[in-house]
Amino acid sequence: MSITCHPTEDLLLGYAAGTLDPGEQIALATHLLACSQCRGFVGAMEHAGGALLGALTGEAMTDGALERITARLDEAAPVQTAPPPPSKHLRELGGLPAFVRRLHTEPWRWVAPGLKIQRLKPAAESPTRVFLLKAKPGIRLLPHGHQEAEMTCVLTGSFSHDGQRYGPGDFDCGDHASDHEITIGNEGPCISLVAMRGRLTLHGFVGRLIQPLIAI
Amino acid sequence: MSDGNAEVRPPQQWSALILAIARKQDKAAFGQLFGHFAPRIKAFLRRSGLDEHMAEELAQEALLRVWRKAEKFDPGAGDAAAWIFTIARNLRIDALRRTRGDATQGASDIDDEYLCDDAPLPDAALVQRQSGEQVRRALASLPPDQRRVIELSFYQEEAHGRIAELLEIPLGTVKSRMRLAAAKLRSLL
Repeated sequence: MSITCHPTEDLLLGYAAGTLDPGEQIALATHLLACSQCRGFVGAMEHAGGALLGALTGEAMTDGALERITARLDEAAPVQTAPPPPSKHLRELGGLPAFVRRLHTEPWRWVAPGLKIQRLKPAAESPTRVFLLKAKPGIRLLPHGHQEAEMTCVLTGSFSHDGQRYGPGDFDCGDHASDHEITIGNEGPCISLVAMRGRLTLHGFVGRLIQPLIAI
Repeated sequence: MSDGNAEVRPPQQWSALILAIARKQDKAAFGQLFGHFAPRIKAFLRRSGLDEHMAEELAQEALLRVWRKAEKFDPGAGDAAAWIFTIARNLRIDALRRTRGDATQGASDIDDEYLCDDAPLPDAALVQRQSGEQVRRALASLPPDQRRVIELSFYQEEAHGRIAELLEIPLGTVKSRMRLAAAKLRSLL
C-alpha cells in the first residue's frame, strides 16, 4: 500500500505533543497505523518532547517525595483489566487502530442515495466529531464550499478530487476551500473515517451538507 | 530536595538507569531518575496549566510508571527522555480529560491510543535519523523563533492563544507559524 497524502507536520507534532482533541487523535492514529513514514516523524517529535523536558528548569518536588514513592515501589502494580472487545460494528473493518475499534458506535444511517454514515463516540467529549462515511462506488459528490478543519482517512476504496486520488491510508486534511467534485472510485465501496469540527446533529449537518448536492 | 538541574549527563546514561531497573529492580537507579526527571515533569505539567498539587502527584505517578514499565523500555527504539516524555504526556492527557469531567467511557487508556502494534515497522535508517541526537541537532539549527514555536506547541489547551501572546503575533498567524516551523523541522531530519 503506498500512501501519498499525509497530515501536515503541525498535526503530527500536535499528536506527538498530546495536544489534539480526542476526535483529531482518532483521525491521526488511523493514518499512522498505515503510515510508517509519519510514525517516524511522530517518533522524532516525541524525541523533541524529551529534549524539551530535559532542558526545562525543574520545579522542586515536595520534601520526602522520593522516599514516599520509593516506599511504593514494591507494591504490586494494579492489575490491568483486559480491554473491552471490539464493537461488533467495527470488528470486520480494516484499517482502524484497536482502540478505535472498541469505541461505541451508532447504527449506520443513510444520509443520501449511496451514502451512509456511522458515528463513533470518542472516549472523551470532543469538539471534533468522528464518523465513518461509506459511499457507493462510482458516485459523485458535490460538497459545498469551505469546511472547517475536516480530516478524512481512507479505510477501503478510494475517492478523488482536484486531480488527487485518495486510497487506503491516505489522509485528506480538507482545510482547503474545496468546492470541487469528489468522485468515489469504481473498485468498490469507499469507507473513510472522518473527523470534523462543528456540529453534527441527527438532522442537521450531513443531510444539509450533502443531500441536496449529491449527483449520481 | 535538589531538583537536579545542575546535572549534565549524556542521554545514554538515563537509558542505562532504566535498564538497571528492568534487570535488577535497582532503587538507587530509580532515585537518580527521579531526581532528574520528576522536577522537570512537574515543571512541564505546571506549564501545561495543571495546579501544583496535581503536577506533583502526576510527576510521582510518572516515575512510578517508569519503574513499572522499565522492562518495556527499548533503548534501540529511542532515548530515555523521549520515552519518559510519552509517559508524562499520556498522564497529562488523561488528567485533563478527567478534570474537564468529560471522560465518557470511564477509564480510557491513553497508552492504548498511542499503540500501533499491528502497524508495519519503519525502516531502521529512518528511526536512526529521527531520534535522539539527530532531533536535538535539528532543533538547535532551527531559527530561534521557530524553535520557540515548536516548544510552545507542546503545551496544552489555550496553546494558540498563549503562543500568540508570548510571540506578540496575531492569533490567526499562530497556526501558519506552527505549520511552517514543523515543516522546517521535518526538512532538517
